[in-house]
Parts: sequence; C-alpha cells; structure tokens
Amino acid sequence: MSIKFTCDDKQTLISYVYGEIDHETRQAVDAHLASCHACAAEVTALGDVRSDIGLWVPPDVELDFTIVKKSQLPPANVLRPARWWNTVPVWAQAAAAILVVAAGISIANVQVKSGPEGFSVSTGWMTPPVAVAQPVSVPQNDDAWRAALVSLEQQLRTEIRSARNDETRVAAHAPGDEATLRRVQQLIAESEQRHERALATRFIEFTRDINMQRRADLMNIGRGMVNYEDQLRRQGQMINNVIRVSATPQQ
Amino acid sequence: MVATDEELVARSMDGDVDSFNQLVLRWERPIYALAYRVIGRDEDARDVAQETFLRAFRALPGFKGQAKFSSWLYRIALNLCRDWIRRKKRTPVVDMPEGVDVAELAAEQGPVESIEDLVARQEMSRIVAEGMKLLPDEQRTAIVLKEYHGLTFQEIADLQGCPLSTVKTRLYQGLTVLRRHLESQGMTSYESDRQS
Repeated sequence: MSIKFTCDDKQTLISYVYGEIDHETRQAVDAHLASCHACAAEVTALGDVRSDIGLWVPPDVELDFTIVKKSQLPPANVLRPARWWNTVPVWAQAAAAILVVAAGISIANVQVKSGPEGFSVSTGWMTPPVAVAQPVSVPQNDDAWRAALVSLEQQLRTEIRSARNDETRVAAHAPGDEATLRRVQQLIAESEQRHERALATRFIEFTRDINMQRRADLMNIGRGMVNYEDQLRRQGQMINNVIRVSATPQQ
Repeated sequence: MVATDEELVARSMDGDVDSFNQLVLRWERPIYALAYRVIGRDEDARDVAQETFLRAFRALPGFKGQAKFSSWLYRIALNLCRDWIRRKKRTPVVDMPEGVDVAELAAEQGPVESIEDLVARQEMSRIVAEGMKLLPDEQRTAIVLKEYHGLTFQEIADLQGCPLSTVKTRLYQGLTVLRRHLESQGMTSYESDRQS
C-alpha cells in the first residue's frame, strides 16, 4: 500500500524538512512537491528559516566552571567578630575578678571567726549556727598559725568594710542621678518646643510664599486679560473698518 | 584516547572530581548556549549553567544511566530555565553583548569577512533573536533543542514531557512564526522567494 501525502499534513512536512522520515514517506512527499508549488515553496522557505536561525550565536564568554571539593579549598579569610574579653588586658581582667569576689563577699556578709573551738566561716544569709560544724582543729601550740589567721581576719574585715563604704557612696549618688534625669527631661522638652516653633515658622513662611505666588499669578492673569481685551477691541475696530470699506460703493 | 561521557560519569561516581570536571569542560558551552537561547540573558544564563553542573554533581549518585548524560544535563538546565522564567514572570529578553567593537571583531575574524558582512551578520542575528523572543516558551525550547543541539524529535519529546506529534507541531508553528518575522524584516532570501 503506497503512502499518500497531502498539503495539510504539516507533521510529515516538518519530518521531511528535518530529515527524520522513513524512505517510503520521503518518496511520497517528493512526489507531492513535484506537482504542488505551494508545498514546494513552503519547504524552501522553512529551509531558509533554518539556515537563518543558525546566525544567532550566543556571546563568546569565558566560563571555566570547576567543581572543587571543600577539603581542597584554601582556608577562607573570614573575619570573625572578636570576643569582647580578648580586648581587655590581663591585669584588668584580674582586677575585675578580685572586685567581683570582694563584692560577692560583701553581699554575702561573710564572717570569718576563729576561737578556741576552731576556725569558721559564715555568711549573713545563714542562720546562726547552733553548733559549730566540724571545727577545723588548730594545733594549740602553734602561735605562728594563730597570728597569721588573726591578721588575715583583720585584713578581710578591712576589705569588706571598704567595699561597704563603696556601696554607700554609690547609693549616695542616686539623688544626683535623679537631678540629672530631670535635667535631661527638661532639655528634651526644650528641644521639642524649639522644633515645634521652627515647624510653625516654616509653615507660616510656606503659607506666605503660597499667598504671594497666588497674588502674582492673579496679577499676571489680570494683565493678560487686559491685553486680551485690547486685542479684541483692536480686532473689532479692524473688522468695523473692513465692513465700512467694503460697504462704500466702488467708483 | 578520549574518554566517553559514560566512562567519565562512572569515574565521577567513584569520587573522581577531575573526571566530573572533564564533563563540565565538555558540556559547559552547550549548556550555557541552551540557557542563553532559552532565557536570553547572559548573566542569568551563566548562573543557570553553573547551577546545572552543581545540581548534576550533587545528584550524580542518583544517576542510573537510563538516559544519556547530556540528556540528563539538558533536563536539569531546562528545568532551571523554566524556573527562571516562572520566577521572573517575563518574556525572555535577548540582549546583545555590550561594548562590542565591530571593527575589533572584524579584525579577529580575519581577512575573509569584511566589516560590512560582519555588521550584516550581526543585524541578522539580532533579527533572529527578536523573532525567537516572539515564540511561546515551548516552541522556542523545541526549536533551540532541535536547531542548535541536534536532538531528535523523540529526545525533545522526552525532555519536554509531551507526545512526538506535539513536538512536530511546535516546531512547525515556531518556524512559521519566525518565517513571517524574517519576511517582515526584509530578509533577502524571502524577498527572492516572493519574486520567484
């Protein structure tokens, strides 16, 4: 059975144009094109379009894509934020640590006692001990140790007292802070008033400018109207003259 | 002896990154050209091409070899192009590369092509690019895959996920629109057709 190609069969036509067609169908199309000028012209035109399409070339760019494993990457120079304590000198850190310990001791109201029953440490938050727990036994005959402990106790008491004085001083500053706060609030209020005044002034200036501009525009319009009326009057006179001249009988 | 795509893929799947880079080198230009012709923007086409290879590299363990490696790459690239067009919600725009000195290009082309020929060729290229812009995405993609990448009807049908007959219809309709556009722009070959 022979294959018959018709003009409407565009799918076979496109297969023919691209050469993706079996031998038998190709022969059928060839036979049709020999007798049908319209289809032959269309095949030629489509072939021309195809050759013109080839003119569209993408830009010649450097691509050089490369896949690189993470392990092969050089260490990244990423800037990380410095930890704040790295910027503080060591001596300042030590001083701060001592201060914290001293403050802690003062807040806890540490009391160091040494007596014949031994050496004990207690805080202000503790209930008064009914009995001293596990006193540290100190050799009775060791006067040197006792003297050292007493001096340590005195030193600690002095430091705690000075820390308490510091606290008192800080607390004494509180009324001064309130005055400063009041002053700051007053300054803010004054600043707001200044801004409001400036805004009102600008608004008045703006309104004045608008009014002046409006007045100037009205004057211009009025002047324009006067000119327009003059022109109208002149044109009217000219028309009257023309009518008069045309009405005069020719001699 | 040059290794085939299949051999390079097998080596890449065994962890040989250099083999995959050989595949990249082999296919980067066709993939870029495909992306450029489908979406029409140089920078975006580069991004799409780069992303295509990254995705291919990541998905390589799942590549079973049921399709050709190139078809697999084309599929990834076309999906990315489709995403790009959907995301941008705009018709592809074909931009000519900026800062192209025609005289310099002519010098690079050598004595065979004159400046006049080069200018004429660039003008025709621009007209073709404009005509491609008029086509719907599916028709343009079908023509790009057929004309510039030489895929068969069946391969295009597989990539576009449509019947063979649809591919042929898209090609015919696309070529017909382009033909009318080129005629309207006074391309010489069509004028001679009309005269005959």
